[in-house]
Amino acid sequence: MPTKTTRVATDVGGTFTDLVVFETDEATGEAHIRTAKSDTTPPDFEQGVLNVLEKGGVDPSAIDFLAHGTTVVINALTERKGVKVGLITTRGFRDTLEIARGNRPDFFNLHYRKPEPFVPRYLRRELPGRMTYKGEERSALDMSGLTAILDDFRAEGVEAVAICFLHSYANPAHEKAVLDAVRKLWPEASAVASHQITREWREYERTNTAVLSAYVQPVAERYLGRLDKGLRSKGFSGSPYIMQSNCGVDSLQAVSRIPITMVESGPASGFWGAAELGKLIGEPNVLALDIGGTTAKCSLIEHGQIKIMTDYWIERDRTSAGYPVMVPVVDLVEIGNGGGSIAWVDDYGKLHVGPQSAGAQPGPAAYGRGGTEATTTDANLWLGRINRDYFCGGEIDADMRSAETAIRAVGDRLGVDADEAARGIIRIANNNMVNALKLVSLNRGFDPRDFTLVAFGGGGAMHAVALARELGVGRVVVPAGAAVFSAWGMMMSDLRRDYFVTSLADLVPDNAASIETLFADTEAGARKQFEAEGVTDEKVRFLRFGKFRYQNQEHTTEVLLDEGAITPERVAAIEAAFHETYEREYTYRLDAPVEMVGIHLVASAEVRKPTMTERPLGEDDPSAAVKGARRVDYALEGMHEAIIYDGGKLRPGMVFEGPAIVEDPGTTIVIHPGSRATMDGYRNIVIDTGGGDTA
Amino acid sequence: MTANDPITLEIIQNSLQSAADEMFAAMRKTAMSSIIYEVLDMGTGILDAKGEIACSGAGIPAFIGVLDKAVKVIAAKYDGTVRPGDVFATNDPYHGGVTHLNDIVVAMPVFADGELIAWTANIAHNSDVGGMAPGSLSGDATEIFQEGLRLPAVRLIAEGEPIKPVFDIVKVNSRMPDVLEGDVWAAIASARIGARRLEEIAAKYGAPTFKTAMDHFMDYGEKVSRAELANLPKGTFELSEEQDDGRIFNVKITIGDDSFTVDLRDNPDQSPNPVNTSRDGVMVAAQMIFKSLTDPYSPANGGSFRPIGLLTREGSVFHASEPAPIGFYYEIELRVYDIMWRCLAPHMPDRLAAGHFASVCGTFIGGVHPDTGRQYTIIEPQLGGWGASRQADGNSAIFCGFHGETYNCPAEINEARNGLFVDQMALNLEPGGEGEHTGGRGIVMDYRVRADNGFLTAGYTRSKFPAWSLDGAAEGSPNYVEYRPRDGEPQRFAFVSGLTTRTGDVIRVVTGNGGGLGDPKKRDPDAVRRDVRSGLVTPERARAVYGVSV
Repeated sequence: MPTKTTRVATDVGGTFTDLVVFETDEATGEAHIRTAKSDTTPPDFEQGVLNVLEKGGVDPSAIDFLAHGTTVVINALTERKGVKVGLITTRGFRDTLEIARGNRPDFFNLHYRKPEPFVPRYLRRELPGRMTYKGEERSALDMSGLTAILDDFRAEGVEAVAICFLHSYANPAHEKAVLDAVRKLWPEASAVASHQITREWREYERTNTAVLSAYVQPVAERYLGRLDKGLRSKGFSGSPYIMQSNCGVDSLQAVSRIPITMVESGPASGFWGAAELGKLIGEPNVLALDIGGTTAKCSLIEHGQIKIMTDYWIERDRTSAGYPVMVPVVDLVEIGNGGGSIAWVDDYGKLHVGPQSAGAQPGPAAYGRGGTEATTTDANLWLGRINRDYFCGGEIDADMRSAETAIRAVGDRLGVDADEAARGIIRIANNNMVNALKLVSLNRGFDPRDFTLVAFGGGGAMHAVALARELGVGRVVVPAGAAVFSAWGMMMSDLRRDYFVTSLADLVPDNAASIETLFADTEAGARKQFEAEGVTDEKVRFLRFGKFRYQNQEHTTEVLLDEGAITPERVAAIEAAFHETYEREYTYRLDAPVEMVGIHLVASAEVRKPTMTERPLGEDDPSAAVKGARRVDYALEGMHEAIIYDGGKLRPGMVFEGPAIVEDPGTTIVIHPGSRATMDGYRNIVIDTGGGDTA
Repeated sequence: MTANDPITLEIIQNSLQSAADEMFAAMRKTAMSSIIYEVLDMGTGILDAKGEIACSGAGIPAFIGVLDKAVKVIAAKYDGTVRPGDVFATNDPYHGGVTHLNDIVVAMPVFADGELIAWTANIAHNSDVGGMAPGSLSGDATEIFQEGLRLPAVRLIAEGEPIKPVFDIVKVNSRMPDVLEGDVWAAIASARIGARRLEEIAAKYGAPTFKTAMDHFMDYGEKVSRAELANLPKGTFELSEEQDDGRIFNVKITIGDDSFTVDLRDNPDQSPNPVNTSRDGVMVAAQMIFKSLTDPYSPANGGSFRPIGLLTREGSVFHASEPAPIGFYYEIELRVYDIMWRCLAPHMPDRLAAGHFASVCGTFIGGVHPDTGRQYTIIEPQLGGWGASRQADGNSAIFCGFHGETYNCPAEINEARNGLFVDQMALNLEPGGEGEHTGGRGIVMDYRVRADNGFLTAGYTRSKFPAWSLDGAAEGSPNYVEYRPRDGEPQRFAFVSGLTTRTGDVIRVVTGNGGGLGDPKKRDPDAVRRDVRSGLVTPERARAVYGVSV
C-alpha cells in the first residue's frame, strides 16, 4: 500500500519549464510542496519536462497524478510552424477564409496589410451541398469530386485536411460524411471538421478555427505522443492530464484529437488557481492578475466562477485584424506590459511603456547582457523596490550602471532626472495595467471595490498594491509560490469541457420543453464522451448557462440557470434573471420579447485534487524574518525607509506594516506605506491595502 | 510632482481612450440593427466642453470628424440650460448632423462640481427613420423631407428622465419602431457609460487637471500633424475628374509650411437628387486624407486637424443648402476623398497607392422573412479591392476608405436573420488592376430572395469609371449590382431605388478590383505563376498581359 500520494504539475513556458510537486502522506494527511524550474528545450519540449522532473527529484513511476500545460499550440501558430493544410468547404465559399470580415482596424493607415490566410486559394476546394440555418438539407451533398481533391492535396504535400460547411453548427451531417470519406480515402492525413470543435454560427470564424486546428494538429499530436512515451519510458504508469484554455484539464487522448483547445492554456491555469485559492480562503470574488516578463494578463472571477467565452482571436490588436479561434477560452485581457517591457519617449515627448519587450535576451539593461533600453524591471531596481544585491533571487548581479544609463536616457528626453524618469515608467506601466483591470471589471459592469486582487507571476506582487489602491480595492493576496502559481492552478483543475450550441428560440413557456431537450441531449453527449474515457456518470457535474438577448439584438448575455429541468413555470424567473443581468451591464432594460440564442453547458468531473491543509497561526511578531532595511521609492507616496523581510522566514500569523518589501527567490512583494500584511495559514501574504473604498 | 505633471496628463489621456473604447463596446453589444452590431457602422468619442473632439473610439474614420460638429451645435443651442443627466440627439445635417438622417448622433454632457467639463457622444446608422422609402434612403428623393424624421438637435432625456413624447415621435415615424427604439437606447447606454467613467476621472484628478489633460492631448495631436506636414511636398495641386453621372468635380489642394488647404469652390450646383453633401461632410473627407498623410498611427483628435483649411461654395454639391436631399451623401464624400487622393498620389508615391474601389456600395434589401413573417431590412456596405502601392499588391476584399473597423455580415447570419439564401461569396475574378503590383480583388455575392414583394435599393459609384491606376498599370474593374430575375434577363445597375423582387430572384453584388501600379510586363513571374495557380489569372491572360507562360 502506498503511504503517500504524489501529484505533479509541469508547465512549459517560453523560457522555463516549471514544476510543482505535491506529496500527501495518506496516513497523516500532511502535505509537502516542492517546486523546481529548468530551461525550456525547443523543439523537443518533452525533454525539458523530463529534465525538470529529474531536477525536482521526482520518480516518474511514483507519480499518481500528472497535469501538464504547454505553449506548443500557440507557438506553432505564432511562429507559423504548423503543417500544410487543405480546406474543403461549401460551393461558393472557398474565398471565405481570405475575404474574412473585411475590417481595417488601422483605418487611417493606407498601407494596412490584411492578414494572409493560413490556406492559399489553390488548396481551398469546394463541394456542392447545402443545409439551411434550421439544419434542414436544402441540396444533397455531392462527393463525386472528393477523390480528385484529395489526389491534388496529396500531390501538393498537404498533411492535414480541414472541413467546414455552411450551417454545420445546426446540422453536421455533410461535414461528417466528408470527414468519414477523407479518413477512409486517405487515412494517413489528419482531418478535422468544424463541428467537432464548435457548434456556433459565423462561417469565417468557424472555418478559420477548423483550419488552425488542422494546422497544429500533427505538431501537437507528435508532441503529446513523445511526451507520453518519454514519461512511460521513465516508469510513469498513469495518463497525463493536459491543461486547456477553458481552465480545465482533459485527457491526453481527447486533446490529441482537437489540440487547438490548448491555445491559451498557460494563462488559464493561473486564473483557475486564483479561483480555487479564492474558494479556499473565502474570497469568491477575485480580480486575478498575472504579470510575466512580456505581458500582464487579467481576468475576473465572480462567485468563484471563471468566465468562458468563444470570442478569441490571435494576433489581433489595433493594427491587425488577427485570426479568430472559436474555442472556449477564459475571458481575459492581455496587454504588452511585463517586467521586460521597454520604456520609450516618442518624437513629441510622451513617455510610453511596452508593448515591445527586451525579453530574456538581451533582457533588462540591468541583466548586463547588452540591453540598452530601460525596462520596468530597471525602474523597479532603480527605485529600490527590487533588491539590487538579490536580483533574480541572487542569480544575477544587477548591472546598475547600465540600468542608470538607460533610465537617464529616458529622463533626458523627458527633461527630468533619473529618479523622476523611473517613477514615470512605473506610473505609466501601472496605469496600463489599471486600464486592463478596468476592462475586465468596470467595462463588464463590475465594481472592482467588491473584489480581492490576487496577484501572481514573477511581477504581480511588485505592482499589486499600487494597482489595488488606484482601483479602490481593499485587499490583495499574493499566493505562496506566486512565481509558479500557474502550475499549482493546473493541479487544482477539474476535467472540464465547455459545450456551446447555437439554437434560436423565443424565451416563452411553450419552448421550455425544446430548450430542456437541447440541454439534455448535450448533457447525454458529454456523459457518453466521459464514459468512453472511464469517467463514471455520478462523477460528472453540469452547469447550465443560457445565452439570451432582446428580440432583434445580436449579441447575447449569458445567465447561469438554476439546477433542475427547464419547465414552462420556470421561464418567467429565467427572463427576470436576464433583465437583471442586462441592466447591470448596460444601464437600461427594455420591455421587449426575449430570445434564447443558444446554450453553454459546462461538464466537469473532479480528478484527484490535493487537499490543502491550513497551518495554525503562530506569533504575530515578524522580527525573525527581518533581513534589513533600505530606502525605497514608492513613486506616488515618495521615498521611505522600508523594512525588508525574507519570504522564506515568514511564518503563518506574522503581521507587519508598510513601508516594507518581502523578498522571495521568485518574486518581490512591494508593500506600500499605510498597508498592513499578514501571512495566513496557507502561507499566502494577505495585504490590507489601506486604500480600499467601500462601494 | 504637480497635478499637471506630464505623467498624470498622460494617464488621464489613456483613460479617455479606454472610456471611448468602452462606449464602443457597450453600443455594439446592445444594438438591434445589424448595420450597427455586426457592420459597426458607428463611432464614439469624447469631446471637451466646447465640443472639440479629444478622443475617439474604434469604428469608422468617416464618423470621427462628425461628433465635434454635432456637439458644437447642441452646445450652442442649449447654452446655459444643459443639466447633468441630459441626453441630446441630432440627425439633421442642417442642424449639426453632418451626414444623413439615418445617422443619429447622441450626446451627453459630463459635469464635475456643477461645471460642464466634457461631452460623450456617438453616432450610428439606424435602419429606418421613416421617409418615402423603406430604409429611408431613396434615389428618388428631391427634398430632405422625403428622407425621414428630422431631429434638429433635440433633448431626449432631461436630468435622467426620458422625455416620453420625443421617444413616441421617434418610434412612430419608423417602419421598424422596436429596432429604432432599441438602437437609440443602445446609444444612450453608450453615452452614459462614457460619462460615468469621465466623472470618475475628473473626481480623482480634479476638473482643472482633467481639462488640462484634454487640452494637452489636442495640442499633442496638432504637434504631430504639423511635424509631418513639414515633410510633405509643397505647392498647389489640381485635378478634374468626370463622374459616373457626367458631372465634373474639381479639386485644388495647396500645401504650405503650416497649412493644408482644400479648395472645392469650382464645382457644380447642388443636385435635385440625394447626391449632395453638407460642407461638414467634405471637411470630414479632407480630415481623413490629411490624417492618413500625416499621422496614420495614433488616434485622431481635434488638434490633429487644425492645419486644415477648406473653401466651399454654398449651394454647390459640396455645400448643400436646405432642403436639398442628402441621402447618398457618403458617396459624394468618398468622391471628394478619392479625387484628393488621386490629385496628390503622383506627388507622394510612397505615401499613396493607386485608387481603390472607392464606393460604400450601400445595398439595401428588404422584405418579409418567409419563416418568421417579420419585416427585415439589410443595409450593407460592401467589401472591395484596394489599389496597388509601390510596396505591395493591393488588399483584396476590405472595406472602402470611408469605413474602417467595420465587419461584413456572415452568410449564416444573413440567412437566419433575413430569410434569404447567400449562394456565393467569392473574390471577383474579372480582369482589372493588372500591373507590376496588382490591385486587390473585389467580391461577388449572390443573394437569392425567398419571398415575394421584397425591394432592392442601391447607390454605387465608380461603376462607369473604375479605380484609377498609376505608372502604366491597368485600371481596376467597376462596382455594380445585377438583378437576375428567376425568369428574364439580368439587369445591371449603379443606382436603383425600390425595385420589387420576387421569390427565386438573385441580387448579385459585384465590387471592383483596385487599380494596378507599374507596367504588368515587369511583374515578378513567380507572382504571376502564383496567381495562375490560385485561379486568379488564366494562363492565356498571364501570357497576353504579363508576358509569362505558365
